[in-house]
Amino acid sequence: MSDQKISVAASTAASSPAAPAASKHRVDPLAIIVRFQSLIGLVLVAIGGVIFSPRRHGEILFLNPDNIANIVRAVSETGIIAIGMTFVIITAGIDLSVGAVLGLSAVVTATMMISGGFGLIATILAVLVMGTVFGIVQGTISTRFRLEPFIVTLAGLQAARGLALVVSGNQYINISYGDGPGLAPPVFAVLGERLFDNTVPVATIVFIIFAAIATIVLNTTRFGRYVYAVGGNERAARISGVPVSMVKISVYAITGFASALAGIVHAGQFNFGSANDGMGYELTAIAAVVIGGTSLFGGAGSMVGTVAGTIMLGALANILQLNNITPAMQLLATAAIIVLAAVLQSLVRRREGLGR
Amino acid sequence: MSAPLLSVTGAVKRFGGVQALRGVDFDLKAGEIHALLGENGAGKSTLMNLLSGVHTPDEGEIRIDGKPVRFNNPREAQAAGIATIFQELDLVPSLDVAANLFLGRELMRPGGMLDVPAMRREAKRRLEAIELAIDPARLVADLSIGQRQVVAIVKALSYASRVLIMDEPTAALTVGEVERLFDIMRKLAATGVGIVYISHRLEEVPDIADRVTVMRDGRVAGITEPHAPQAELVRLLVGRPLDELYPERAKSAGKTLLRLKDASFRLTRESAGWQPPNGISLEVREGEIVGLAGIMGAGRTELLSALYGTGLAGRWQGELAVDGRPVKLESINAARKAGIAFVTDDRRGSGLMLRMAVGLNLVMSVIRRISPAGLMSPRRQAEAVRQSFGQFDIRPKNPDIAVGALSGGNQQKVVLAKEILGNPRLLLLDEPTRGVDVGAKGEIYARLRALAAQGLGILVASSEMPELIGLCDRIVVLRQGRDVAEFNGGVDEHTVLAAANGREA
Repeated sequence: MSDQKISVAASTAASSPAAPAASKHRVDPLAIIVRFQSLIGLVLVAIGGVIFSPRRHGEILFLNPDNIANIVRAVSETGIIAIGMTFVIITAGIDLSVGAVLGLSAVVTATMMISGGFGLIATILAVLVMGTVFGIVQGTISTRFRLEPFIVTLAGLQAARGLALVVSGNQYINISYGDGPGLAPPVFAVLGERLFDNTVPVATIVFIIFAAIATIVLNTTRFGRYVYAVGGNERAARISGVPVSMVKISVYAITGFASALAGIVHAGQFNFGSANDGMGYELTAIAAVVIGGTSLFGGAGSMVGTVAGTIMLGALANILQLNNITPAMQLLATAAIIVLAAVLQSLVRRREGLGR
Repeated sequence: MSAPLLSVTGAVKRFGGVQALRGVDFDLKAGEIHALLGENGAGKSTLMNLLSGVHTPDEGEIRIDGKPVRFNNPREAQAAGIATIFQELDLVPSLDVAANLFLGRELMRPGGMLDVPAMRREAKRRLEAIELAIDPARLVADLSIGQRQVVAIVKALSYASRVLIMDEPTAALTVGEVERLFDIMRKLAATGVGIVYISHRLEEVPDIADRVTVMRDGRVAGITEPHAPQAELVRLLVGRPLDELYPERAKSAGKTLLRLKDASFRLTRESAGWQPPNGISLEVREGEIVGLAGIMGAGRTELLSALYGTGLAGRWQGELAVDGRPVKLESINAARKAGIAFVTDDRRGSGLMLRMAVGLNLVMSVIRRISPAGLMSPRRQAEAVRQSFGQFDIRPKNPDIAVGALSGGNQQKVVLAKEILGNPRLLLLDEPTRGVDVGAKGEIYARLRALAAQGLGILVASSEMPELIGLCDRIVVLRQGRDVAEFNGGVDEHTVLAAANGREA
């Protein structure tokens, strides 16, 4: 009898439930690649960016601080949404309403400040509550009536766009700054600016802070563990006493909150709200999550992966733009990356003998 | 003497660094039922996969009628007359029986239309050939597991008719269904079909097999008579004598934990095939293991899941008490509050998060306890995991491995350890050793007995009669949702069977 040490202490806690890799016994290199696929992808895209970047006076334009700031600013809205989406997808759900809720939130933000005369704090709080409630309603309908989240949030998408059209009267609601009625508080415009010597976009800071909080919630709280449990095996979770419905409703509340936050950022960056804002963001966000290694089957995934996946997609679009490659080609490149990420995951599932 | 129908000589198969088969000889005669026994990992699945063309051997030879053959894929094996029925039946539940039998080889009318009547006629003829009256127009989803098994056999035989390989065909069957399956197997054998029968259930071997090959560690550990004593088979299987598969019974039991008196579960909506508890009276005391016997459909699983609040919606009537206090037990929460834990018969479907690490699965039912103030405590989690590994010999001893990668026996230990962590007072077990090899079974029995000795009450449903008789202090026999008899452990199997079937012993 060898007195083999049980490597429980730190390892179980530290290794996220995402990739229960066999530490000492059998390390599957493919599983490790998938676990870090979006980080690896990000590094590869960055290297490609440096190599293929156009140069001006010897300067690599891709690495120009303005360009980098542009990349991380451009992805901050979909990034915030993708973070919320990661929770939902780990429970094996999906939320298609996020882009529409972003649009609704941008419209409501602009309307409240411009025509409503509400202050900054009241507006932001109201919009965040609205987004959260929107998510709670979707989650409740889905769990109460046992409907597929796909259908419920598809309806939610239509509803949010419809509401946004009603609120905006199908007009762009421009945000002008200043004191007095009909004007937004000037401080709101900070969302479109950069801090720290005009380097770091504020929108990106919001994204990073939100990502940090989400990472902590997912990895260290009881709720985070429940999220993995529900996606890992809902019936087993229920039998173990996990409040499955509460967890499911909560993750849609999180995507609703995230979409509202992204909508506020959107309004602040572009100085208007329109019912068409955030069109198609749900698909970009889902793509970022999947590229980040989170399984659409649920039970596995990581926040770091989602963040890396988001930035990678942004960097890829940027390098293609710098080289004047058409948007059509950008779409095709994104498609190829999504398929690649999904194929890698599928291979790992098959190796684990769990998928077919 | 002519060459055997099928023979394997010196088969070697490696997967990466693992040597699954280390030189195996095996043969099958026409008309023979040859049982292949072995624990998980002994190599019987690999051998089966070589015969059915899923894998090709690294070394060694397969011969049919003395002529060497080589199968590069299952189709070639089928073409050579070898049909395999895997544990997970490859039937499409949403199609009818005839459509399943002809899947991929549909009979067509001229013009490209399906000839449904012809397929149904032919299906009926084939089913009747083995004296089975299943309407070919019925959906497979509406058939019992036993009936599906037979449909799968008929389907396999229509591909190939000389060799039939069956992987654990009785794992999900009731006693009656097993007997019918054996009848069918004997009939097939009488027509000259050679059958390789893979099983965990030692006690079935004398009933059905003509010859037994036992595998261990990728080798043939021995070839014996089917009527060899069970102890001899167990010795061959595990490589050492297993003196006591079942631990000693309790000397005495404590006070009453669970008490049902004339308890019925009224369903909100009737459901065909779900037999709710219907006037059951029984008791489980501290330190006691009580077994639930009964034929399939007698309501064993239904009783357990109704007690735990995971069955269909409905309400209890009659007297239910835990620790002498009346309880309702209509939700999982109510059951857990009363100190009840439940291990279902379906560890992959409702017991485990297969892709997640063993450690994470173990703490699943105590997340609340190890996350004070909502934050997961790595220290408490590690403690809980260490406690489980201390109680159950889970192999490999690595809590970070995905639980889906473990053998059936080790997965079952994880499910049990998970519920034990919650310190239940009463443990409900449904088929606690399904698909578990003999070695792990013995270990699980010993663990359950030790836990009972510490005051845990256990109510266990099983379709394996020897298990109930060997493990339990008392056995309650259910029929149509009602308790019809009660015996002490160690009772004669036929007595219990008679009661379960409603006959005089």
